Amino acid sequence: MQGGDEPRRPRRLATILAADIAGYSRLVGLDEEGTLARVKRHRRELIEPTVADHHGRIVKWMGDGFLAEFESPVEAVRCAVVIQQSMAGRNAALARQNWLQFRIGVNLGDIVIDSDDDIYGDGVNLAARLQELCAPGGVYISGGIYELVKNKLVVGYQSLGDHKVKNITDPVRVYRVLPDPEALAVAKARRLRRQTVAAGLGACVLLAGAGFWWASTPETPPRPGSSGSSVVEQIATTRPPPAPAAPPADSGQRRITATPPAVKPPPPKGPEMVAVPGGSFLMGSDEDPSEKPIHRVTIAPFSIAKYPVTVGEWKACVAAAACAAIPAGDDKAPMTNVSWNDAMQFVAWLKKSRNENYRLPTEAEWEYAARGNTDTRYWWGNKVALGMADCKGCGEPYDPRGPLAAGSFPPNPFGLHDMTGGVAEWVSDCWHSTYVGAPHEGSSWGEPDCSQHVLRGGSWENDPSYLRAASRDYYDTAVRYISHGFRVARSP
Amino acid sequence: MSQKLLRRSLLLAAPALAVLAAPALAGPTPAGKDAYLYFITPHNGQKVHSPFLVIFGLRNMGVAPAGVKFPNTGHHHLFIDVTEPLDPNVPIPQDKKHLHFGAGQTQARIELPKGRHTLQLVLGDADHIPFDPPVVSKVIHITVI
Repeated sequence: MQGGDEPRRPRRLATILAADIAGYSRLVGLDEEGTLARVKRHRRELIEPTVADHHGRIVKWMGDGFLAEFESPVEAVRCAVVIQQSMAGRNAALARQNWLQFRIGVNLGDIVIDSDDDIYGDGVNLAARLQELCAPGGVYISGGIYELVKNKLVVGYQSLGDHKVKNITDPVRVYRVLPDPEALAVAKARRLRRQTVAAGLGACVLLAGAGFWWASTPETPPRPGSSGSSVVEQIATTRPPPAPAAPPADSGQRRITATPPAVKPPPPKGPEMVAVPGGSFLMGSDEDPSEKPIHRVTIAPFSIAKYPVTVGEWKACVAAAACAAIPAGDDKAPMTNVSWNDAMQFVAWLKKSRNENYRLPTEAEWEYAARGNTDTRYWWGNKVALGMADCKGCGEPYDPRGPLAAGSFPPNPFGLHDMTGGVAEWVSDCWHSTYVGAPHEGSSWGEPDCSQHVLRGGSWENDPSYLRAASRDYYDTAVRYISHGFRVARSP
Repeated sequence: MSQKLLRRSLLLAAPALAVLAAPALAGPTPAGKDAYLYFITPHNGQKVHSPFLVIFGLRNMGVAPAGVKFPNTGHHHLFIDVTEPLDPNVPIPQDKKHLHFGAGQTQARIELPKGRHTLQLVLGDADHIPFDPPVVSKVIHITVI
């Protein structure tokens, strides 16, 4: 198993995340089909995109859990925190007995990679042991991980002392991750209260923000190893967030409320949509190799948002713990610095919370909508016109630091604002360097495991040639960049 | 006394303000000591057929995907025929002349029209901003035949 017999089997250092669902058999006993369906949904909507978003790879699923590997310990712990916070949000509306709670262990260690990409080794075993020790809804990390992340993540860490772990010679130092450094104070206070007041008397104090709520859900850390060494508690307070997995800035007014978050929030107000009639058009141009060959595409009727998704709209998704908290500009400005994966999380949240068929537009739909029944280079003509869009060289108004508020420029013939300029917009298609082999019916042109997706419309940073209706660009699927945003579409 | 109190509360407030302003005021990311960025291939003056392979070389620093704030790591950007000076204080532009390799790629297949072109590598930090001092390769000239 250790790879010595097969010299070509590669070993390397990796961060391993092991997770399982606490009390899975009990949940299956309560409601077999419902539990399986929920696990599947969390896997599709939360686990897979979150792991990918943090540059991880899911090695395997094991019924009630999964094993993932990451290149970066910071990303792995951040991923674990995001998953636990999102799960806390998702459990909020359910009765306690129906909660699906993950236990997550993260370890850094040497691994052996099998020919079918499975992984083995002490590094993996220890991650699994940490996960077994872990309280439901929590994240436990090894001492090695702690040393690497302690100054980089805005969370608190509670030392749980050294643990003797099955089949591993040396004791392992274990830390519990607290998503909010203040949570340790609460944890201490709770322990004190438990000693003096009968359990069950104190109503759970909940603060606005799923993160804090997650941190303060009752849990009992495991007893330290049989040696009886005392539990050392310490807080490693860290720098303020550069890209925090914390509640958004505008939830700063932390209200203390005694009611559990059982009230289902009303569905979010969806973006303003414009119905686009079906039709056919000539897609592409002869100006750049990527835009050739020009080909006729037939589009079925669909709806597309009047504006790009704004910072304000994004914040609603963050508040629902369904999108990443990415620092951005004014509420009315288009959301920026989103990867394609981020955009897909927003779309999934909108679709689910409004129960309507939201999605990203396909590349063909996008160009059809941007042209608005015109066949010129820009919807207003063949020449750059000043004051028609937000770009470098498009005239005033213009701010080199970021996109102007959505709707600052005239709409195109379909009534759509900011299709070109402002933020470059993600569409659903995988990047292909030409249209050779492109579909003719307006569908999304995907590829399995696509690593680069298409961006359309150019941004405020680009010169006017990028704002042509036919201009195409692309970027890494999982990577954020300051001038990238998106708008949503909807099928009837 | 009350003045003292006021001053203390101001002192307390100062870090809180700094926290709010942090993303905008975050200083540049320091470059690794003796960081050296270079082209493994092609070499200066080489004649190539398009598409051609470009392999990025980096010594004394590591490559990490964009978004990962890990000391002494960055990700590659390939500048093609860029003539404007590099602005070290803002994210590297993203267009057809500034290619990003934010997934941590260390090579790329590039298509360029026939003729002379310049290539330069620039390392960006987690937010695509150049390091301090900027980690850049020499500008090389190639001819696509």
